[in-house]
Amino acid sequence: MSRYLRLLRIFTGATLSAQLEYRANFVGALLASLGEVGVALLGLGIVFGQPGISSVGGWSFREALLVTGFFMLTEGVISVFIQPNMSKIADAIRTGSMDFTLLKPIDAQFGVSTRHLNVLRAPDLLIGLGLIAYAASGLSVTPGGVLGAALLYVSAVVIVYCIWLALSTTAFWFVKTQNVAELFNGVFGAARFPVSAFPLPVRAFLTFVVPVAFITTVPAQAMTGELAWGAALASPVVAAALFVVTRLFWLRAVGSYTSASS
Amino acid sequence: MTTSPPDPAVHVRDLRKAYAVHEKEPGFMGSLRSFVSRKTRQVEAVRGVSFDLHPGEVVGFLGPNGAGKTTTLKMLSGLLHPSGGEARVAGFEPRRREAAFLRQITLVMGQKQQLIWDLPALDSFLVNQAIYEIPDDQYRATMREFTDVLGLDGILKKQVRKLSLGERMKCELAAALLHRPKVLFLDEPTIGLDVNMQESVRAFVRDYNERHGATVILTSHYMADVTALARRILVIDQGALVFDGDLGSLAGQAGAGKTIRLQLRSPVTAQALAGYGQDVSVDGLSAQLRVPRAEVSERAARLLADLDVADLTVEDPSIEAIMADLFGHRTPPALERA
Repeated sequence: MSRYLRLLRIFTGATLSAQLEYRANFVGALLASLGEVGVALLGLGIVFGQPGISSVGGWSFREALLVTGFFMLTEGVISVFIQPNMSKIADAIRTGSMDFTLLKPIDAQFGVSTRHLNVLRAPDLLIGLGLIAYAASGLSVTPGGVLGAALLYVSAVVIVYCIWLALSTTAFWFVKTQNVAELFNGVFGAARFPVSAFPLPVRAFLTFVVPVAFITTVPAQAMTGELAWGAALASPVVAAALFVVTRLFWLRAVGSYTSASS
Repeated sequence: MTTSPPDPAVHVRDLRKAYAVHEKEPGFMGSLRSFVSRKTRQVEAVRGVSFDLHPGEVVGFLGPNGAGKTTTLKMLSGLLHPSGGEARVAGFEPRRREAAFLRQITLVMGQKQQLIWDLPALDSFLVNQAIYEIPDDQYRATMREFTDVLGLDGILKKQVRKLSLGERMKCELAAALLHRPKVLFLDEPTIGLDVNMQESVRAFVRDYNERHGATVILTSHYMADVTALARRILVIDQGALVFDGDLGSLAGQAGAGKTIRLQLRSPVTAQALAGYGQDVSVDGLSAQLRVPRAEVSERAARLLADLDVADLTVEDPSIEAIMADLFGHRTPPALERA
């Protein structure tokens, strides 16, 4: 365990130094972060700007803003920690550099999941946390609610990671899979709004098929104390189940690796 | 193979690998058809290869492109699962890719790189040090040794993207051998390098083999790589092992002579050269012909005396030429042991 922590530190150092090589990139990334938050707020503004609308799907403006905050935070987690690694899986398979990863005496899933960080998108994390704090400041939030939300958000991150890994792992068979990232982003865009804002069939889809509801709505509900116990337990169970399933899927994929020719 | 020790470093019996490949007709319509319904075909890349290597042995693994060399190396390193047969490397079954096994081997591929592109090679070395849990003192000793033999001074702190191909290959080798593996799979480690760089790569491999008693399997297109490093040669053709023996008997079997290249001052006809050797070809003022190995100096002397020669060079036949001589368009002969 301590060995893997040490590896994390080494990987992080290497990926950070590599990014410091390209300073101009930083400005672009900052603009992208601001663009993201602008779009998210604009969506909320349009909905709540309608005369006579004070709640959507039973969520007040502040509560909906809380969901948007979790959405931005998740965008940040994806851009900083998840996507930089996952998007390189298909590349590594196409160019054959996956060979080196698979021949290292460390767990290959750990290797492909932790080698890279996109520190340039770290502002997204701060923006997300800021939005959550701002939204919560206008609501009655208990310390227990914050703790619950934090724990459920850990499950949420695990769920997001598993979905990304499963989608990226398909590259072992299909090689080029950039479009699966778009697929995820398309569906995940729905997470900027509370699930109850959607019609029932869509809500069911976002809960049971692609568990987007667990990513933003559930932690927000926990924070406002509106979460039922059943739903609170479902999130870690879904996360654990997904983790096991994607692990098995990964192992299978690695077993059928064909290694691009020399 | 009478003195085979009980525990060979590499043990291969009837190793096989079949791939499903999909075929596509050329052109856009072909692509469209292939997108809708893929035709797949089973290709046997390796069909029933067997050999044993002693610890510390260096062998050259030869064969034309697509013969199955790389596929075999990938099976032995654990990247590919064999579709049949048996392989044991350093006492392990490669396909399981156990950590203890991976610590004892390395695979160097001349056309792929593991170094971090945007950082100096030293950063990649530190990552590998952590991955392989190399103690600091061992790391320092190994780095001293490699810096010495490979001449890494001054290139370790430059970003990898700024290194020349040769410098990068040296760093790739160092990164791949940092954990002092016992079994080395080297796939075209000198490809694309100039003669000096090829020589230093060879010197490094030889030195490592002697110092650490490592077993080495080497594939290369350059005759010099193989002659400099390996006493024993394995030749694979169309997925089957067709020769296993020493280099001399391979060249003898091939009957391949040397190639004499001429640069002439005045034109000659191919007929005029026919008396000096075989496979004569003339192109303007350049000409080349093949002569038997034993008669190289005598024929060269005659050419120099009889013709108006500006320059004359003698070359070893390329491995491809030997391969062509040996196995040209024939079906692979039965395994011969020298």
